[in-house]
Amino acid sequence: MADSGDSSVLFRSRVLFMTGKGGTGKTTLAAAVAKLAAAQGRRTLLCELDSQRPSLTAIFSRVPSYLPVVVGENLSICNVEWMPALDDWLADLVGAGRIVRMIMKNRMISIFLEATPGARDLMLLHRVAKLAERYDLVVVDMPASGNATGMLSVVSTSRRLFDTGPIRRCAEDIESMLARPDTNLVLVALPEEMVVNETRETRARIQAEVPRLRQPLILLNRATPVTLSAEERLLLDQLASSAELGVDGRELVEAGRWEERLECATAEALERLRALAPVVVLPVLARGEGAARVAGQLTAALARQSRVKVDLVGDAGRSASGGSR
Amino acid sequence: MITVRAPLQSAGAAALCELAGSQKLLVCVGSGGVGKTTTAASVALWAALAGRRVLVLTIDPARRLANSLGLTEIGNTEVKIPLERLMKAAGSPGGGPATTTRPAGELWAMMLDPKSTLDDVISRVSKDAKTRDAIFENRIYRQIAGSFSGSQEYMATERLYDVYGSGRYDLIVLDTPPVKNALDFLEAPGRLSRFLDRQVMKWFLTPEQDESAVSKRLLLGTSAVVYRLLGHIFGREFLKELSVFFTLFRDLYDGMRERHEAVGRIFGDARTSFVVVSAPNEPSVDVATFFLHELRQRKLRVGAVVVNQLHRARLVNPDVDALIGRPARELSSSLAAQMLARLGAAHRRLRDLAALERQWVTRLAVEAVGPGGGGLPMVEVDRQAVEVHDLVGLLGLHRWLFEARS
Repeated sequence: MADSGDSSVLFRSRVLFMTGKGGTGKTTLAAAVAKLAAAQGRRTLLCELDSQRPSLTAIFSRVPSYLPVVVGENLSICNVEWMPALDDWLADLVGAGRIVRMIMKNRMISIFLEATPGARDLMLLHRVAKLAERYDLVVVDMPASGNATGMLSVVSTSRRLFDTGPIRRCAEDIESMLARPDTNLVLVALPEEMVVNETRETRARIQAEVPRLRQPLILLNRATPVTLSAEERLLLDQLASSAELGVDGRELVEAGRWEERLECATAEALERLRALAPVVVLPVLARGEGAARVAGQLTAALARQSRVKVDLVGDAGRSASGGSR
Repeated sequence: MITVRAPLQSAGAAALCELAGSQKLLVCVGSGGVGKTTTAASVALWAALAGRRVLVLTIDPARRLANSLGLTEIGNTEVKIPLERLMKAAGSPGGGPATTTRPAGELWAMMLDPKSTLDDVISRVSKDAKTRDAIFENRIYRQIAGSFSGSQEYMATERLYDVYGSGRYDLIVLDTPPVKNALDFLEAPGRLSRFLDRQVMKWFLTPEQDESAVSKRLLLGTSAVVYRLLGHIFGREFLKELSVFFTLFRDLYDGMRERHEAVGRIFGDARTSFVVVSAPNEPSVDVATFFLHELRQRKLRVGAVVVNQLHRARLVNPDVDALIGRPARELSSSLAAQMLARLGAAHRRLRDLAALERQWVTRLAVEAVGPGGGGLPMVEVDRQAVEVHDLVGLLGLHRWLFEARS
């Protein structure tokens, strides 16, 4: 594997789950990946799972609904809410809408379904599997890592809980989606010690709970690539301890040291994360600019990193299936 | 109690002193990555150093609290954090609220393990060992108690109830999971109560039933259609186990429901306050704003807003050469020019970032004032040069949280 990760795997996926510690920018990155895939001509759906306040709203200036809405060429967004997902699943199961409505109207049954452990997660993931049949790529903006792990492990727990019947089959459908070679889970990390710790933990837990789900790549967001030489760092240190500096001079040196720390943090994070998987590095961008613009900039950065592969995407698609890996 | 405070302490810092010094429960809410756990732990440490017995409790599925307390692992039991070593390490200057003038209280930490928490509850409310073991053996119980998402929230309220009522602590600082779940958490008592709804239970149970009677009832009468549908969906085996589960839980019902209602009351208590934590960027300010609205709507008390991770730059268009040109050239004639250019550029970036952050802080401040005026005290905490991952780091935050000047 090359020094840095190859982001083209993102664009060869059919279903892409993205998660990470809260605040790592996974929603923005999910949007960036989706936009880029759409720009390559793939029919792409970007979805959130049962979000009470969909984060995609800020990026696309519209609230994603249960049914996908088109937000651009080849690009749709949705919010997979669990009650309609349950309706859909029941409709598939028992056919006609009238029976479904009858079932759903029964208070006992709705309470029962709502309270059955894992039913919500099963319905959400099942809906994702269904949607994946209709798009070239479904990008799933998962909840933060701790909860995403719980959600994904629903498959193995359901296996233990339900021996037969439709719920069991539902879990099996999800399991085969997760095991597909073009289903991938991507973790988003930041160059911060605690975030890296949590990324490692999450990866290990998902590997244990859902061993067949591929985790080919980690995205390191808001990275500051190392540009200072060893001599420059030494000079910076010497300046920082220089007695000649006034308060103002010190503020300047501190600004330099601030960037130096960011560089070091990036280098450390890269080293620790590369021990787990290939890492794609995304540069820090001015924050506070509005999610839509940041997503646009990240799309451009991702495109630059995967340019060679993107140009070859038509061939790569064919050769990948017969490839050595 | 004598607390040494700066005479010009900011309103925000004063408010946090008041909250940490007198409240019984503080709930930290906010989006992920804003330093919520760190803030909770630092507040808890301050209160402990001020002489109170404090527990910091996290229900975050990710194991972050251990991280920021410098512990390798916290289990489902309360772990005492030794403060003696800290006080030695920290020495006197800036070492928290007058650490040397009086004996410290106690700092405890606990991170929830949902499974063993529910086991504890079952053990306590079961009428005998046989019932308890039967529940533990039940597959449905095992799954509920185990890894399904959402169980953390149920269990958190259970544990909170225990420690709150134990009388062992003067203050509990509760760290919550990132936003979407934090709401679940506020609603957890209601949701679990609903699951244990008497009518639902009754539907499965007859007054004098045994297991076979349950099955009989389920297969006869008006419930039969519904039961067949459920059986179709979930499988008969599951339903059978479920009725066993309900049978076993019947006796536990009142006890559990009572506990959940009590937790609801604890949240609304006058000695409970919420602390909204944010970072100066769009997504976290967005989430913080959402929480302010939600909490107000639920008539829950918000005590303060903490904004973490602020960058600062004071100078405008500094003359880099005039300020550091000479010492730089003295240190390295060859690298000086490029270093000066770098520092100028770095400072411009820092300044841009600080300016953007200020806009978000201002926006949050407007929200914090609220429609009715009044105004919530706000505390600003600078981004730390070194990531906070131990007690000394938590102590260092007190300078901003509790000692900020106006």
